[in-house]
Amino acid sequence: MVKFIFGIALLMLTGCTEQSLKNQNSHGLIYCAEANPVSFNPQITTSGSTIDLISNQLYNRLISIDANTGEFLPELAKSWKISKNRKKITFELRQDVQFHHTDYFTPSRNFDADDVVFTFSRLFDVYNPYHFVSGGQYPYFKSIGLDRLIKSIIKESQYSVSFELFDTQSSFLSNMATDFSVILSAEYAKSLEVDEKLENLDHFPIGTGPYKFKDYKRDILIRYYQHEKYWQHPVALAQLVYDITPNSTTRIAKMLTHECDVTPHPNSSQLSILADRKDIQVQKETNLNMGYWAFNTQKAPFNNGLVRRALAHAIDVNKIMQSVFLNNGKRLHSILPSTSWAYQAQVNMPDYNPELAKRLLRQAGIVDGFSMDLWAMPVARIYNPNARKMAELIQNDLKKIDVTVHIVEYEWNTFIKKLEDHTHDSVLLGWSADTPDPDNFFSPLLSCAAALSGKNSANWCDPEFDLLLSNALDTVNIDERKEYYFQAQQMVIQELPLLPIAQGMRFQATSSNVKDIEIKPFGGVSLAKARKE
Amino acid sequence: MAKFNFIASLNGEELNKSPLRQLWRHFKSNHVALVGLWLFIALTILATLAPVLAPYGVNQQHSDALLLPPSWDDAGDVRFILGTDDLGRDVLSRLINGTTYTFGLAILTALITTLLGVILGVFAGMSKGVRSSILNHILDVTLSIPSLLLAIIIIALLGPGLLNTVWAIILALLPQYIHSVRNLVVQELSKDYIVAQWLDGANSWHVLSRGIFPNIYEHIVVIFTMSLSTAILDISALGFLKLGAQPPTAEWGAILAENLGFIYLAPWTVALPGILLFFAVLATNLVGDGLRTALKKRKAI
Amino acid sequence: MVLEYIFRRIILLSFMLLLLCVFTFSLSYLFPGDPLTNLSGVQNVSLHEADDLVQKYKLDHSMPTQFLSFLSRVSEGDWGISFASGEPIFKHIVALFPATLELALYALLASIVFGIPAGITAAAYHKNWPDKLINLFTLLGYSTPVFWLALLLIMGLCLQLGLLPMSGRISLLYEIPDKTGFILVDIFLSDVSYKINAFTDALKHLLLPTIVLSTYPTMVLIRFTRDSMLEVLEQNYIKTARAKGLSRSQLIFHHALRNALLPVIKQIGLQFSTLITLAMITEVIFSWPGIGRWLIDSIYQRDFPAIQGGLLAVSTFIILATVTADVMHSLFDPITRNQTHGKI
Repeated sequence: MVKFIFGIALLMLTGCTEQSLKNQNSHGLIYCAEANPVSFNPQITTSGSTIDLISNQLYNRLISIDANTGEFLPELAKSWKISKNRKKITFELRQDVQFHHTDYFTPSRNFDADDVVFTFSRLFDVYNPYHFVSGGQYPYFKSIGLDRLIKSIIKESQYSVSFELFDTQSSFLSNMATDFSVILSAEYAKSLEVDEKLENLDHFPIGTGPYKFKDYKRDILIRYYQHEKYWQHPVALAQLVYDITPNSTTRIAKMLTHECDVTPHPNSSQLSILADRKDIQVQKETNLNMGYWAFNTQKAPFNNGLVRRALAHAIDVNKIMQSVFLNNGKRLHSILPSTSWAYQAQVNMPDYNPELAKRLLRQAGIVDGFSMDLWAMPVARIYNPNARKMAELIQNDLKKIDVTVHIVEYEWNTFIKKLEDHTHDSVLLGWSADTPDPDNFFSPLLSCAAALSGKNSANWCDPEFDLLLSNALDTVNIDERKEYYFQAQQMVIQELPLLPIAQGMRFQATSSNVKDIEIKPFGGVSLAKARKE
Repeated sequence: MAKFNFIASLNGEELNKSPLRQLWRHFKSNHVALVGLWLFIALTILATLAPVLAPYGVNQQHSDALLLPPSWDDAGDVRFILGTDDLGRDVLSRLINGTTYTFGLAILTALITTLLGVILGVFAGMSKGVRSSILNHILDVTLSIPSLLLAIIIIALLGPGLLNTVWAIILALLPQYIHSVRNLVVQELSKDYIVAQWLDGANSWHVLSRGIFPNIYEHIVVIFTMSLSTAILDISALGFLKLGAQPPTAEWGAILAENLGFIYLAPWTVALPGILLFFAVLATNLVGDGLRTALKKRKAI
Repeated sequence: MVLEYIFRRIILLSFMLLLLCVFTFSLSYLFPGDPLTNLSGVQNVSLHEADDLVQKYKLDHSMPTQFLSFLSRVSEGDWGISFASGEPIFKHIVALFPATLELALYALLASIVFGIPAGITAAAYHKNWPDKLINLFTLLGYSTPVFWLALLLIMGLCLQLGLLPMSGRISLLYEIPDKTGFILVDIFLSDVSYKINAFTDALKHLLLPTIVLSTYPTMVLIRFTRDSMLEVLEQNYIKTARAKGLSRSQLIFHHALRNALLPVIKQIGLQFSTLITLAMITEVIFSWPGIGRWLIDSIYQRDFPAIQGGLLAVSTFIILATVTADVMHSLFDPITRNQTHGKI
């Protein structure tokens, strides 16, 4: 049997079937993804690994952000108009956009205002039949308060929609351009209602994006086909397959054996190997992100600011930068990365000082130390390429101040789900910005609304802090906004609900014959124009 | 007993020596087995004296020396003979301490299993009737499930961890042990000299300690070496699967799994624990094989 | 006589399966957490739903009633829902088991094809160089941890030389519809245009996992065949035949082989249990989408319903395979039917 297989394998190597294999290959691209998608609808998750897979591939938004200038660009909306009192925004829509044609849905009409109305009313309108489907949680929109901001969505004409807001909010347009604000099909939703399979809306997606959904096998693959009638440009790839490979070493190995064409987030330790290969290229992009160590501020002893400060003083961040990021990251000096326009370096940032840490603990009334859980993400993300190792370093550092650390790990999606219950003591996590707006680092992470929706892993709710955030959003004056964000940054470092650790670089390894993969500085990756040579 | 000696002396000098010395003579003549024995002894010493022999602490991190190659490499450092890992821990020290976890714990596991297995096996072999039948049936069920799977089941129950692994492997090895010991006991029980002992009025304990045990203990040593090699393989396999020893415990399988990410950058951190594992199992197998051949040879005479 | 024997085996088999079910059922209580959640896999239920579930799982009844209801659900294929995926466990098992079985079958085949001839050769040249060489080989094979071997092969053949793929069953660009779950059969049944390419690709993916998985059983079979052959060659009828002047090959192939292979047949059946366990490690390393990898993932995630279902499926399969091997063996070798009680 093995001889037989060997014979065939040798036959393969001699190359007599090589040519036809190449043909098959050039029509499809394999992207090695690091986790299963939580859902196929970006509205109901904030998990970056999921957004990367679905948002830019299956869907479009009304507007997008230019990566270089930060200006808004038209996408499904041709143009938009903001009323004088800044409480009404009207979008003029494109008329030539078609939804996906799949084996489970055949659209009868093009994209129009009904789709926009349906998509956004699902988020806040309890009478929308889909509002409570798939848990009824819209974590991103809830944490930025969008559900309480939109008063109504009005269909002005077939290709015109206006949003009426309760309040002016300077980040409204940026939020409409995030990877979460994608447009779903109202017609598809109706047809599912007839079949009484409402939850399929989030599992069998229909969008307007460059690829359409074909198949998903948990832990194995996701298969997309090209959307033949994509409105923006012809799609080069016939097939886009995601190979779900959580282990980053395996992903690199698959790059080397050419089982993957694209691999996101290679470990920094492996970059030098990849750089040595001619057939592999490494893309490196700065990205607005922040890796942090959050404490559950509702739980003793972490409800005591002194304890949080003590722990922050006890860890050697430089060592982390060296052995976790291998110096491919920037140490953070505030909750905002230095590339954000509202950034201000914090003088109060805790430095490495175990003696001071011990003193602070004694001040807090803790004499013989304590033991705590530290949750470490099981996957590599931009903001933390190896949380497990970071956790081990922290474990080692905290031992010196008599704090015993127990490292907890779960599968990524389970991990995120369990975090929402706030049973953890502390967690190593991070945030990649979806918009250049600084609010994106505050409201989704540390606001009271985020604490309620479970996305605030510090479980921190301070009305004074929330007031700062809403003040900052109420104005369009950049200087005023900056002033508010300076105060907010000071407050975070003062209170330390979370300790910002590092800003990572976004790396992506691709085979040299793969071209035009777009990594967005805010949010995910787009394979719309990807092609193989 | 005198009678047997008498017969033996008729057959020549060789049989005058004690069975144990005969065994050693046969074992000694097998050079490969002897090498295995030396290796085995060396590993045992390493396992017991690990903390004294290791140049650094197991989890001592040297932040100035991350991922250093072995010292003979140009980039190496004499302080760290086999290099360091990504957290700046000395590879040599971790491997030496790993001997305690993988090899030492395996010996401990095998010893506990032997103790329990012999007691239960003898009990199973001596008992008759319904009790024996039920016991045998339960044994048969568990026997058909291989030790590693059984260990995984038990770990699923107890949760991952090194100590749980040891318990799991003990429980997983037991059925095979009981089975073998029972077969040995049953075999001996049917022999004439035991019947003679019964007829002489000896009680169970007497028959067991004077009659059966002296005749089976060498076989038990052979079974011990077999279960020892299984224990080493299982402990390291579970460590590798992250179900056993949890990092930063310096168990060989766990070290291997931990360093997999550096398979291209620092292959030595993956290669060394694997080679050590291989030698540990090889030494155990060599000793076991040597013992078995020696036993067979002695019987043949 | 044969019928009585088979009847006895069936009784034993049902006894073992019953015991297994009792064990699996008790796991719901032994695992941490609420037995109802562990049984059903439904998490975060409302009070009303909880009531329905208690009714369904008969948790308000006595243990024996609960167990009976458990048995009926197991036989109906209602094995609860996985914590991790939220999908029925039975569905996962049906989808994953064929992949494991396929791998195990090929590995078993490979170990028979290599192991038995090697064992016979070793016995035929007893104490000569082929015997010594094969002995050395088995000793090394026995001592190599399977995960280490897999890593060495991947490092050498996949990463250094780039000859073979290192993960999965087939290049994901080939879309093969699931029919039987056996990839080679599925490719054969499918009507895709790239059938031959897909087939060779699948074989390339199979090669390394099969080699790794078959190593240990091959060693066992070599040793077992050799020992069994040597034992037979010592017997008087062989000695007589040799005295009559038969050649070595005549002796082995015409007289000794049949008797020497009888115990080997049983050993082959027993290898199935070892194969399934080793398949778990192999699957993890080669990202083979089988039940072993899924079970180990479930343990990481503390997905208790999935662990229970996985264990039940794997153990049932192993018990069935073992008993089948036993029955097959006794059909060839009537002497073994005379045992008073089950012995495996």
